[in-house]
Amino acid sequence: MTMMKPVYIVHCAAVTPLGDTLDTTWQALNASRSAIGPLERFATKSYVTSLAATIPVLEARDGSLLYDLLERLLLQLPALPQDCRLLTATTKGPIDLLEQACRTTPSPALTPAMLPEAMTGWLQQRLGLAGEARNINAACASSTAALAQAAASIGAGLADTVLVCCADLVSEFVFSGFSALQALSPAAARPFDPGRQGLTLGEAAASLLLMSEEAVARSGLTPLARLCGWGAANDANHITAPARDGCGLIEAIGQCLARARQPLEAVAAISAHGTGTVYNDAMEITAFRALWGELVPPFNSIKGAVGHTLGAAGGLEAALAVLSLQHAQLPPTVGLQAAEQTVSSMVMSRVQKVGGDLILSTNSGFGGVNAAIAISRVEPLVTGGNA
Amino acid sequence: MKTMAALLGGGWVCSSGFGTLSQAVPAFTVGALPQIQRQDLFAAPDRRFGRMDPFSRLGLTGITLALKDAALDQDVKEVGKRRIALVAETCGGCLETDRDYFATVVPEQGALASPQLFAYTLSNTFLGEVALRFGLTGRAEVLNSTGGNGLCALRHALEWLLTGEETIVVAGLCDVTDWGALAAPGALFLVLTNAEAGDERAGLCLENDALKWGGHPLASVNDLLRLLREGESVDITTLS
Repeated sequence: MTMMKPVYIVHCAAVTPLGDTLDTTWQALNASRSAIGPLERFATKSYVTSLAATIPVLEARDGSLLYDLLERLLLQLPALPQDCRLLTATTKGPIDLLEQACRTTPSPALTPAMLPEAMTGWLQQRLGLAGEARNINAACASSTAALAQAAASIGAGLADTVLVCCADLVSEFVFSGFSALQALSPAAARPFDPGRQGLTLGEAAASLLLMSEEAVARSGLTPLARLCGWGAANDANHITAPARDGCGLIEAIGQCLARARQPLEAVAAISAHGTGTVYNDAMEITAFRALWGELVPPFNSIKGAVGHTLGAAGGLEAALAVLSLQHAQLPPTVGLQAAEQTVSSMVMSRVQKVGGDLILSTNSGFGGVNAAIAISRVEPLVTGGNA
Repeated sequence: MKTMAALLGGGWVCSSGFGTLSQAVPAFTVGALPQIQRQDLFAAPDRRFGRMDPFSRLGLTGITLALKDAALDQDVKEVGKRRIALVAETCGGCLETDRDYFATVVPEQGALASPQLFAYTLSNTFLGEVALRFGLTGRAEVLNSTGGNGLCALRHALEWLLTGEETIVVAGLCDVTDWGALAAPGALFLVLTNAEAGDERAGLCLENDALKWGGHPLASVNDLLRLLREGESVDITTLS
């Protein structure tokens, strides 16, 4: 595997149903708060549930709630260097624009503003960044894939600074689809609980700013963590269901740790995907057990607190993983009443200690995608002065 | 920083037909895409093919033809799973499918929402269709770019080859609208693998952030198509 330059995470931000910043989200999460509640954005009488985790008082900007969400995120960003590249991750972007058009006319004219990449262009313009910006769609692993791509670009010397921004809304479009697939839980999601009945949708935006060592030195920013490994693999099994043997996730984690040049034993904790669906959570447990046997590291899922935020999930979870390293603790798996027996000592409804220097964050999604990233503590920088 | 790739094969679908790069280099013009039947691609019955949305069928066709051209189209049942990556750039993506799906939601407030259509409202779903048919376990991502030149997926593929994450990547474009760099509906996919400097198979090159074909800088995918038509370093190579 090609040797890579170190990649540093120098800034993280988030807007979630638990708080308008990453810190408030962290605090609420560690207090076992859940933002899941009755949904008022659209009528839900035809659906499996009326629950979701939404951000209070989002208002339409440029016609979409998405841009209000992103404006709140942008307020938190530091100044960006001129050569900063932009990578975005979203599954449906400003999908509410299509919804509005369809409600007005049975077969409305389609416009580029309705596309996921409209978010990319909007952000690029709003941030004043030049060059090509890309949006990555790998379903619910989109932002983890974007972080992997950003890290690879910096690691290979193709970029110095990359901003990864990810976001998705709770929309009737997606809500109705998951309801039709019988994937929504009637009650709030209970990841890794034997009584789990499905997922609860959520919405969020998150950003992570990644830099090379040289860019860190120029920026004056303090590295928060290193993104030291990444991997992705496809199940090649089914378009909407995970492979029961966890083959894709196992391969992604293996690739990620090989890139990080770390053994399995170095993983101190895992921020798992943990959607709360029967099959996803079983697949993850199978994969973790196949890799670590009886010694699976502590792991959690935040989706019982903020819901499944789709394209934003991986970015938000990575940002929280950075805080987990800093605070040496893994937030509780909110909603968990009693964990699956085989992992009952690894996934908890309370805060768990993180006793090492490396956290994995994993996601999986439709199309058979799986992605993993490894985040580690920052060792003192050779250049000094900023750490 | 420089990385080079050899072209192992290519597949395409355009308004005038469909085929492989070994057969012809397509000209993309505005017009209706051909109605592709399962028999055009697969010998065995394939129930899923008929259920797919037009975007997924287009992408599956383009990639299948590219894999055929590279002699990598064996069914997973024959050869098992293999690490080959997929990356597709699209502009319009599955937006028409999105509209069709939401048309099943609106009338009865969601009571008649189609789970079948919903599965195709992610633009990466068709890569899953490809992956499961051919047993491809590499990265599988759909990209949207603000660059507008249609080279984003090729660049992405070269980055994966450069970093050693992948050794074979199927990369290209897929659009049912004429909003993308091809300015026409269609699909174009290339099968790429690593090549060393001096390797006569090397065609595509990423050097100092510039993408080149046979040494010629590429400003857009249309430059690549022109060079392929002119036969500049276009040997389709085989895996040895």
